[in-house]
Amino acid sequence: MPRRTRRARRARRGLTVGLLVLASIAIITLDYKGQAHGVISGAKRAAHDAFSPVQRGVDAIVHPVGSFLSGAVHGGDLETQNAKLRREIGALQRETLISQAARNQLRALERLDQLPWVGDIPTVTAQVNALSPSDFAATVQLDKGTTSGVADGMPVVGGAGLVGQVTEVWSSGCTVRLVTDVASSVGVRFGSAGNLALVQGSGLGRDLAVNLVAPGTALHKGEVLTTSGLQNAQYPPDIPVAYVKSFSSTPSATQETVTARPLADLAVLQYVDVLQWSAAP
Amino acid sequence: MTRWRAGQRISGSLTTADVARGTIVIVVVLVVQHTLLDDVRVDGAHPDLMLLLPMAAGYAAGPDRGAVFGFFTGLVADLFLPTTFGLSALVGCLLGFATGTATRGLVRSSWWLPSVVAVVATAAGMGAYAILGAVLGDPGMLRTYLVPALAVSTPFAALLAVPVLRFVSWAVPEPGPSHGTPAAGGVR
Repeated sequence: MPRRTRRARRARRGLTVGLLVLASIAIITLDYKGQAHGVISGAKRAAHDAFSPVQRGVDAIVHPVGSFLSGAVHGGDLETQNAKLRREIGALQRETLISQAARNQLRALERLDQLPWVGDIPTVTAQVNALSPSDFAATVQLDKGTTSGVADGMPVVGGAGLVGQVTEVWSSGCTVRLVTDVASSVGVRFGSAGNLALVQGSGLGRDLAVNLVAPGTALHKGEVLTTSGLQNAQYPPDIPVAYVKSFSSTPSATQETVTARPLADLAVLQYVDVLQWSAAP
Repeated sequence: MTRWRAGQRISGSLTTADVARGTIVIVVVLVVQHTLLDDVRVDGAHPDLMLLLPMAAGYAAGPDRGAVFGFFTGLVADLFLPTTFGLSALVGCLLGFATGTATRGLVRSSWWLPSVVAVVATAAGMGAYAILGAVLGDPGMLRTYLVPALAVSTPFAALLAVPVLRFVSWAVPEPGPSHGTPAAGGVR
């Protein structure tokens, strides 16, 4: 190949990649600075709205196909009578499991109905329908969105305490950033003196870090940390967040080293309440 | 008004059929990712099929197309991720280009080569993603999430490399006279 042609091809390739990198950096900058927030969140909402029915449809197809294949493989060599008996037993077992599942669901919903700290704040009960689509964020997706009254920034609580905050919302669902996410921070209050601290996430399944606790502050294991609800707070006051798991202090430290565990069991979330509450402007 | 027909060339040797096939690949992989693979959890992390697409495009069709396909794949992936918008597009573009450039001179006769390339590309892509995320103000992406993500994604990348490469080779052929066929040596 002539040297000039090769050089021209290399230059064209450099130009293509350069333009794409520039376009990416421009998009990142616009999102980071919040200048194209409306356009980007609109595009994300539209994508979620378009994709949700496809996801539900594929889910509905994938599960019965799996069951059908499993049934075909295991049922081929059975005698007719045995097959009939097994079907009957299966139906009975299914009924038992369904009623057991229904009882569990009812219990979970009843727990949500009796949350004392919610007070007069209206709530939207939602079901967790997907885990985080990213390996780099601790989030869950709920099945309630703008059509149910859910909005960006609303707090989300579970049976035992704070779960997180809504960070993205579309018509039929929303994304909730869990309190364990490294980008999450919650202002809390604890003890009879009403000490203030900041609870920060350390990743899914890990303990929370409690910062800004002055050395010598009276603390005990199992102490419950509740949202402070201070001015400009992201959460209403008095929602239980976590309990103290360990604390220690070194002589030269400017703060106590405190770890806490979320009160809500984030590993097995099924139903949650979205609080229709927004921070004061 | 100008109308596009199937097979019509858009730019260089790229045709509307190529674009349609590329779109099909992205949509199918997106559906598989969000309906099946998102639920495969180990220590909070799951396999990332979307990151394999730029690698496969770069491997099958060279750096140019790898970069373009990686950019658009990343842009679509970003629509569904809670992280900064555009991050996956940047990583996808660089990953497609780098894979295409690094594997151009390789003799592709070994059955294990795509798996090795997929593991290296996934590790590099995730590392770049976490570093850029940390630069943009989320250091936890590097400190907390990177290790479990790498531990889960790289073995799956090795396993899924060959089928993904075949699928992407169908959609993103190598440009030039051998249009419609994978890169020299092909996918074995």
